[in-house]
Amino acid sequence: MLDASHSRVLHLVVEHAVTTPDKVALVSGSTRITYSQLVSNIGGAAALLCQLGVKPGDHILLSAQKELEFIYLYLAAHLLGIVNVVVDDASPRERLDYIVGIVKPVVVFSSREDQEVDGCRVISYHQLSFNDKEHLAIATPDLTPDDVADVMFTTGTTGSPKGVCLTHANIAGSASNTNGFIGTCSDDIEALALPLSHSFGLGRLRCVLMAGATLILVNNFANLKAFFSIIASEHVTGFGMVPAVWQYIKRISGKRIAQFADQLRYIEFGSASLPVEDKCLLIEMFPNTRLCMHYGLTEASRAMFSEFHESADNLDSIGRPASSLVEASVRDEQGSPLNDGIDGEICVKGNMVSRTYYLSSDNKDAYFGDWFRTGDWGHRDSDGNFYLTGRKKELINVGGEKVSPVTIEEAIVSTGVQECACIAIPDPNGMLGEVPKAFMLKEGTTLTIEEIKRRLAQLLPAHEIPVQWEWVDSLPRTSSGKIQRLKLKR
Amino acid sequence: MMETQVKEIIARVLNVEPGVITDNLSSGDIPEWDSVGNLAIISTIEQELNIEFPLEDLFDLTSVQSIVDKVNQLTNA
Repeated sequence: MLDASHSRVLHLVVEHAVTTPDKVALVSGSTRITYSQLVSNIGGAAALLCQLGVKPGDHILLSAQKELEFIYLYLAAHLLGIVNVVVDDASPRERLDYIVGIVKPVVVFSSREDQEVDGCRVISYHQLSFNDKEHLAIATPDLTPDDVADVMFTTGTTGSPKGVCLTHANIAGSASNTNGFIGTCSDDIEALALPLSHSFGLGRLRCVLMAGATLILVNNFANLKAFFSIIASEHVTGFGMVPAVWQYIKRISGKRIAQFADQLRYIEFGSASLPVEDKCLLIEMFPNTRLCMHYGLTEASRAMFSEFHESADNLDSIGRPASSLVEASVRDEQGSPLNDGIDGEICVKGNMVSRTYYLSSDNKDAYFGDWFRTGDWGHRDSDGNFYLTGRKKELINVGGEKVSPVTIEEAIVSTGVQECACIAIPDPNGMLGEVPKAFMLKEGTTLTIEEIKRRLAQLLPAHEIPVQWEWVDSLPRTSSGKIQRLKLKR
Repeated sequence: MMETQVKEIIARVLNVEPGVITDNLSSGDIPEWDSVGNLAIISTIEQELNIEFPLEDLFDLTSVQSIVDKVNQLTNA
């Protein structure tokens, strides 16, 4: 049996393989993997990593669509004390090069056959088979729950991604807080259409496996007819989605999803805010389903939760700390706690909170002692519910994808505009939550907006291209010359 | 027949090679055809071909073939 005492997630997976070996853990197309096979494949993946010469403390880069091999390698790395750096399969070249330059992975595993990463060996999942690997030679080094398990890169406010170090204890803490709140248990069958390479989707994977439940991997939400058919045929009891997907479900399928109201025990929402009227509609459509919404960041995953039925009187709240092991507090600029009702920076601490960024220079101003500073502004009411009132960080949340205004501004300037500033505006189509708007200095350019858009299409993914544009005579700046983006929101 | 035009729009919107857009390709089959891509396909076809898909039909537009068929039906109506 594999020794995984340092990783609560893995330890429970191994335990499920002993107590319920024939229970299905993962479903991908027509392939069904039991807990017993899952642990065997994790052992095979660990043997492969050893063969490749990857050592404890080394980093491997994993990008994924929905490959089972990704899951085996991800958990095998945890077993061996190898650090996973999980990146989006569609990461722009520049972001990938930056991350590789920092973490220097020993091996890169990718969905894409043609993936090239400077100076690294790249292996496609399609080339792998773990069934024939000898597991016996695996020696598990001395590892502790406080060792780093994963490094996840977020979109930094300065434009450069920030690596968030998550320990085995952090990821297990987040999963157990989440399962405790939502109530996911071994009887559940969950459909996962969220990306596995993002914090939300990866978190769902860990929650389901920790609970000994079944996870069905679905490519994405685009084909709702197929998604609903899986809910029906596999007797799905829960799934997670971002608010933009809810808007998509309403637009494409009307209220058809309500036919599963008696079957779905839970739905988890997260990554962006959901309008109160949608929460009311969901309460009406799913009277017996736990409708749970998390508030969190990669650095402090699932810090707070609300359940719509239980908080019907304060649906504008982001909820309360996720468990008794999580605390939240509203603080002033000096880090002193503020009284209820007064706006300040929301700070959190607890078992899931990362203690450091990969680059220690990124830790500057990230904490008040033990308290992680979220960068979000808000207050707490006298009942202990928290409310968001604004964001100190200026990231633009496009349907759950966090976009740095700096990235868009640099791209616009590279097309020939002298100066530019981008802010978040509500999506005029009501689908994506926020979308970017660009303010550009008229002076010094003869470009038209159409020309700029055409050039940007070569430089940025579609969701990062502004949907509104405005020429201005000057941009608001601080005395030190920094652009005051928040002033443009007025 | 609008088949070529519809396939050209889908390939352009998803930023994939035209050869990828076969009749039996369904939404979700390739990573580029996600929910955001699907909405972009619908709105671009509506704008460029000057048609409007009835709301109740959007649920059934799940493949290249089903989109081509629906566009043909709407443009011949």
